[in-house]
Amino acid sequence: MQQINISINGKQFYLLATEHETLAHLIREKAGLTGTKIGCEEGSCGACTVLVDGKAVLSCITPALRCDGLEVTTIEALAKDGKLHRLQELFVEKGAIQCGFCTPGMVLTALSLAPSLVSETDSSALIRKVKEGLSGNLCRCTGYKKIIEAVAEYVKETSAATGSKSTPFKPAHTIKGGVGIPRPYIEAEKKVRGAAEYADDIVLKNSLHCKFLRSIHSHARIEHIDVSEALKMQGVHYIATGREIPGKFGVLPISQDETAMAVEKVRYAGEIVAAVAADTEEIAAEACRLIIVKYIPIREFLTIEDSLNDAGENERIHESGKFNNNIHKKAELRFGDQQQGIREAEYTSKMFFEFEGLSHGFTEPHAATAYWDENGLTIITATQVPHYLHRALAKVMEVPLSRVRVIKPYLGGGFGGKSDPFPHEIIVAHLSRKTGRPVRVRLSREEVFLTNHGRHPSKMTVEMGISGDGTIKVLDADIAIDGGAYGSFGVVTSYYNGVLLQAPYKLNNFGFRTYRVYTNKPQCGAMRGHGAVNSRFAVESLIDDLALKIAMDPCELRMKNFLDSNTLTVGQYRITSNGSRESLQKVMELSGWKERRGNFEKGRGLGVACGFFISGSALPIIWNELPQSVVHMKLDFDGRVLVTSGSSDIGQGSDTMLAIIVSEVLGISMDKIFVLAADTLLTPVDFGSYSSRVTFMAGNAAKDAALNLKTEIVAALVKKHNVNSTELNFSDDRIYSNDKTTNLSWIEAVEILTAKRGAISVSGKYISPKLGGDFKGAGAGLSPSYSFGACIAEVEVDMETGYVKVTDVWGAHDCGKALNPLAVEGQLEGSWHMGTGQAISEQMKYYKGLLLNNNFLEYKIPTSVDTPDIHANIIETIDPEGPFGAKEAGEGAIHPVIPAIANAIFNATGVRITSLPVCAEDILAKMKENHLAEQNI
Amino acid sequence: MLKGKTYIKASTAEQALSLAKENTDLFRYLAGGTDVMVNRFQGNDTAGVLVDISGITALKEVLVSNENLVIGSLISLDDLAGHSAVCDHFPALAEAVKSVASPTIRKTATLGGNLLCENRCSYYNQSEWWREASGYCLKSSGPVCLASGGSKHCFAKFVSDTAVALISLNACVELLDFSGTSIKPLESIYTGDGMVPRGISPEAIITAIRIPLNHDIRSVYKKLRKRATLDFTSLTTAVSVNKAGDVRIVLGGVHAKPVIVDGKAGDDLKALAAEAVSQSRIVDNDTCSRKYRKDMITVFLERSFKDLQLV
Repeated sequence: MQQINISINGKQFYLLATEHETLAHLIREKAGLTGTKIGCEEGSCGACTVLVDGKAVLSCITPALRCDGLEVTTIEALAKDGKLHRLQELFVEKGAIQCGFCTPGMVLTALSLAPSLVSETDSSALIRKVKEGLSGNLCRCTGYKKIIEAVAEYVKETSAATGSKSTPFKPAHTIKGGVGIPRPYIEAEKKVRGAAEYADDIVLKNSLHCKFLRSIHSHARIEHIDVSEALKMQGVHYIATGREIPGKFGVLPISQDETAMAVEKVRYAGEIVAAVAADTEEIAAEACRLIIVKYIPIREFLTIEDSLNDAGENERIHESGKFNNNIHKKAELRFGDQQQGIREAEYTSKMFFEFEGLSHGFTEPHAATAYWDENGLTIITATQVPHYLHRALAKVMEVPLSRVRVIKPYLGGGFGGKSDPFPHEIIVAHLSRKTGRPVRVRLSREEVFLTNHGRHPSKMTVEMGISGDGTIKVLDADIAIDGGAYGSFGVVTSYYNGVLLQAPYKLNNFGFRTYRVYTNKPQCGAMRGHGAVNSRFAVESLIDDLALKIAMDPCELRMKNFLDSNTLTVGQYRITSNGSRESLQKVMELSGWKERRGNFEKGRGLGVACGFFISGSALPIIWNELPQSVVHMKLDFDGRVLVTSGSSDIGQGSDTMLAIIVSEVLGISMDKIFVLAADTLLTPVDFGSYSSRVTFMAGNAAKDAALNLKTEIVAALVKKHNVNSTELNFSDDRIYSNDKTTNLSWIEAVEILTAKRGAISVSGKYISPKLGGDFKGAGAGLSPSYSFGACIAEVEVDMETGYVKVTDVWGAHDCGKALNPLAVEGQLEGSWHMGTGQAISEQMKYYKGLLLNNNFLEYKIPTSVDTPDIHANIIETIDPEGPFGAKEAGEGAIHPVIPAIANAIFNATGVRITSLPVCAEDILAKMKENHLAEQNI
Repeated sequence: MLKGKTYIKASTAEQALSLAKENTDLFRYLAGGTDVMVNRFQGNDTAGVLVDISGITALKEVLVSNENLVIGSLISLDDLAGHSAVCDHFPALAEAVKSVASPTIRKTATLGGNLLCENRCSYYNQSEWWREASGYCLKSSGPVCLASGGSKHCFAKFVSDTAVALISLNACVELLDFSGTSIKPLESIYTGDGMVPRGISPEAIITAIRIPLNHDIRSVYKKLRKRATLDFTSLTTAVSVNKAGDVRIVLGGVHAKPVIVDGKAGDDLKALAAEAVSQSRIVDNDTCSRKYRKDMITVFLERSFKDLQLV
């Protein structure tokens, strides 16, 4: 240890630093400033950026001792005298903040960048330089667009040359309430100040640190675990192994196949075998190295083909299946008569597609702290689904549901990757119980990749047939998906791959079969656009091919086949509002589709695709009679409405959405609304943030509760003022009758209501209507409403290197009604960014069951300079059952963008993309083949 | 108990050398540290003593001396890229510097550090857990190279982009070690052995980089990578020609050392490019496949010849 004298944010700290400690660790753990985030620990994501003597530095790879005597500035220093820095204000105003985890690093990078750009007077050059300057900071939520806008605006304002004038900042709570008004998140200012606490920022007194020993084998029996040497280490408090917590869990009741740590055998390299609770991270890590495990390796199954086949004499991954193979789930449904459809089709196209697995790439690594007290277990954790974790913990810890409390603090992105109960959450609960102290854990980025639950690697053969006039006659899909070692959401994924092809086009003859197999790799699960992203890609590619065959514009072919509003699909999905046509029309106009396509030089192209998605699953994961979402609301003497909801804001803005709905119903301003969410002790059940359900379901529950509160207020006023209940208006913080004879301020009305009663509590709920057919599998993909959308992408392909640059994405998405247009745009831009990644650069590459690219350097999330210019358009169709007409916007938009890019590559090069991510080498090889074929004609 | 570790700042190159002497076998110099710190995090660098030389201000200057541009080794890449002398005389070098890592890393990373950046491989740049699970590659003290499927030779790729540009400009390095100061062609410090990629004594410090001026040299720089920022190279090329018509081709990312082919402007350039391809030793240790990287050498070189108006 050495003592250093370091100035942090103008304050002198005398701190003891260990010799090889990083600056990030010192700032967070010793100076207690947790606005500086740790995302990768390898200098690849930028979340830890701070200023040292005014220069942007990656604190996770900077030795703390180097900074002895230097001045460090962290995000906490920027706001002065209770006022945000102008750059922070612009981040808030422009909607540049979603989950907020990358925000501190992004703001500080931008702040150090700005002075070098003030002389740039050309707007497009400025944007280019901002993109370049921010290109070491990864953001997974926003698609960078609004961040770039905020920074460029800041540069313009600070530039003496252009000197654009700033408009006074309006804090989020002062922006007028109500639906349809673009607004930053209610917590945006807290996030931009670095004050929002994420799971790893909350440090309880006396906490122990947890580290894991992970299996080095993909498939092996555990013969013996010796922890004796590790236990002798000073500072080690407890070492747990799998046998201590053998209870099985899994997010779906039908595949409870996972244990917190391996019991008797390991099923993937990286599975947790032992866990240490110790005084420090270093001691815990060192103790893990002293644990001796004797394994007996058994034959591993690493590919879909291996797992589909008979396992022979070899031990299967799980022993539960009926047959001697590693198939986890087979899902199959047939509608109409596919044989007849094939006969009727004048043109058919059949292709084989292959997709690599993907990681969610959220910037905040999983983290949790658990403790036990007189109320049982409390866990503070980065989760999308407090409710399911609550159930899993009760089950595995063997305590009643009433003894478990799950708290979700601010959360740094999920995209499906935090929507299962996880081993690390259960293990810290167990370790805390054993040691009697709080136990905390933060996974390394590599461990996040090992935890996975990302998009399934998939292979599929898909065939489509159309008539000569372009009417779709038949669709058939044969799909195999690689689930990894455990079930997760896999049964649902298996169905979604197929069933979510039955829209947005009219189909009479449609069928699919999906196999999900277990393999000895980290498990796959749900990721944005769950289940249908890859099969959507296949269908949209086939349509592009068929359009070419009948020489029809691919947009026209799609227009011709769209389902109408208020109709049933072949599998009995009830389609209500449907903005497919408007969406496609919009992107055609904006991209100049008709004029420009076909007039490009070789290597440039435009491509189109469409998609749709559920607004929440109509059926709950766990069969019971609970409403899908409940909201409690309390109105007290102070005029404030407390909204309590179990829904989980993961950066998508659901807390703000709830407040908007309440403000709209009650006609009150945002500063009278307080949202308390995602604490299973204090908030009623909501199933969580997955399947794009929150706006529709929690939103409807909030609306229901607010209407119930309104009813209470109306009843009190009718009694007091003898006014007709139908004549009362709620608007602009007032309640008044049509003739204004009754005209009360909100607080006056509240006083009347609470007189002799005190605080009023009401409740609201959402229960999905009964939907769908009565056949087996009819429930998959049922939703009270569906979103629709379209994308057109433009690409430049280097004809000699095969390098693909996606230059533009024009997208339109029917979200029913944008309750908060700024947030909806953010979701769309983020979806199209993420889809671009899947299309051109992202994949999980394995070597014998080991993930080769388990970090943000080698797992290639598009940076600000790789992300295309995104042109987002919101289409509003006012859904009949959504809250104020709203439906989902968080996932569906990712579906069309990926095939749109691939179809643009075809347009540019004549090469049909059938595997993802796009590989430059393959493009070159296929161009060569095409060239040879042409020569032979 | 956890092992003892030390961190020491050196304020002069001489002090750094004496610290090295006191801690032979145990120390690691830290310049910017952007490479070393990551290797330490992954457990590939376990030196107990860190000698931080980033504060040696005497090694951060750029000046013209004896018809050379002399660049102090500890100048940050960001400062170097913006330096007028570099931009004026050697724009290809400025371009190379700007293609390294990310803008934030370049504010900390130094030129000397980039020249000595550890060779990389998909099977080596992994955590200790990963390398154990994979059976350890040759460079991680394992029995064979995993990337090549069993070779006894390590092909971890050479990834210094600035070195490729500098060698095309006939740069030399000033080295300070226990035996004093010496000046060597930059390329001479690279061995071609992925296990021990640099043939300089452990205590040696590159104090400066010298690039000859007044040779009327033009150089063209190119880099292949998946993303337009952040990524290490999959293939780097620099091609130069001077007023005497000397052509120099330098490749990075395709061998454990830079590949260099010298020729004349009047030579068969296709043959020179083919020679460069044949000298490369590429294995599948990168995001891009071996074949693709090999094919791209020719594409990049032909483009460079065009850019230089040699064809």
